[in-house]
Amino acid sequence: MKIQIQRIIFLAVFFWAVVAIAVAQETLWVTSAEADLKAGRSVSSDTVAELQRGTQLSVEAYESRWYRVSTEDGKTGWVYRGRVSETRPEISEGEKKDEGGGIGGLLGGLGGSSVETDAADSARSIRGLSPEAKAYAEKTGTPKQSRDALDQVLSLSISENAIESFLEKGHVGKYAE
Amino acid sequence: MTKQSNDRNPTSRRQFLKLAAPLALSLATPVYAMDLFKALDPKGKNEDVQKAKQAVEGLGSIVQSAKGIDYETEFTIGESLALEGFQRYGLPVEDKKLQDYVNTLGKAVAKNSLRPDIAYYFVVVQSPLYNAFACPGGIVFVSSQLVRSMDDEAELACVLAHEVGHVSHKHALHAIRRAKFFEGVGKIGTISMDSEEGRKYRSMIGDLQSVLFDKGLDKNMEFEADKAGMEFAYRTGYDPRGMIRVLEMLEANKDSATIKGSWFSTHPPVDARLERCRQHLALYRDASAMATVKDRFLDYRKRL
Repeated sequence: MKIQIQRIIFLAVFFWAVVAIAVAQETLWVTSAEADLKAGRSVSSDTVAELQRGTQLSVEAYESRWYRVSTEDGKTGWVYRGRVSETRPEISEGEKKDEGGGIGGLLGGLGGSSVETDAADSARSIRGLSPEAKAYAEKTGTPKQSRDALDQVLSLSISENAIESFLEKGHVGKYAE
Repeated sequence: MTKQSNDRNPTSRRQFLKLAAPLALSLATPVYAMDLFKALDPKGKNEDVQKAKQAVEGLGSIVQSAKGIDYETEFTIGESLALEGFQRYGLPVEDKKLQDYVNTLGKAVAKNSLRPDIAYYFVVVQSPLYNAFACPGGIVFVSSQLVRSMDDEAELACVLAHEVGHVSHKHALHAIRRAKFFEGVGKIGTISMDSEEGRKYRSMIGDLQSVLFDKGLDKNMEFEADKAGMEFAYRTGYDPRGMIRVLEMLEANKDSATIKGSWFSTHPPVDARLERCRQHLALYRDASAMATVKDRFLDYRKRL
């Protein structure tokens, strides 16, 4: 009797583990800043939807670095594998969104992120070096050269389009085919 | 004492079985553990379950201490450290096209990191050291010597992704989480640099310099960043073996390189990193089919 109970428990645990693994393998999440759901397995295909980071996807197939997936609201299409992961991403709130490359990024915009940019962050972005860092620099006697260097770094603007164009020209990732 | 333990044994065993799962789960997913505690003891009347719950919450708060620092403070700490970094390692290479190139590549890999929703900034500084480091909040330094010694874009992508990995995991903040500054307000927007809190803040930046510029982060953080470097580069579409090639290059140059303040002194031994990266490479079966983009990289490398 005792052995039978043990067998039942073992089988139940085994069954649970198999089901858990099967479910885990069929579910992916968008973990990159954004992901396009494409009608076909190519960047030149029509975009069915712009998926937000954290979007849960059910996997239907995998071919040549692209997953065929469906969303919870019933949309289906292809997503490049580099944009998704088997692990649900942590979505933090209150972090400054990189809108197309920092300072000048206000002209860009990633689209699809659930993280909001607050007014203070945007204002600071336009100014470069933050008032707090300026106060630190003054208090510690940081040379002007270093302050100017940081201002220069924080003022550099790279648009979202420039990043995509860069990857396309290098035949990197989804542009490799 | 022994008798007491024996007396408590049946109950303890049952409680242990009850608590083992949530305790184990709590190591990976504290939120699920809390749900399980709630399921085990919905009314919160079981003393043992409640004690275990408090223990897990306590563990969580330690783990979360660095995560609890708001982004504004984190970024300002990064700015302050960057100001020190320029003095310690050199000023930016005066070549906007090169800086644009490195920033575009860095931002491309950062988009596929664990923390893609913050702004990242990359700067190549004029320095003879083999070095790269990340300030909290996302300002990443890489030395001209390190870039000059690489052979393709995948290698640079992996190094930048390694640094993005440090920012994603908030490694530097973990290293200074016990700083006195965080015992007080711990928030940058509320302090004056002339106040006692301001003094604690500057002391913390001093500690951070010591960690990132001299002693180095915990070796496990570096191994974690190496894996992140390979993973984020791979997810972007680059050959993750770039990380291994950079480490092999460092290994080949270690006898002639300046050690102090470089990757050689602030990172674990290169051979140990190589071993782990080679093991990790097994995850990327199609690594050889991924992009290296040699020609474009060499065009920019010539500018240094």
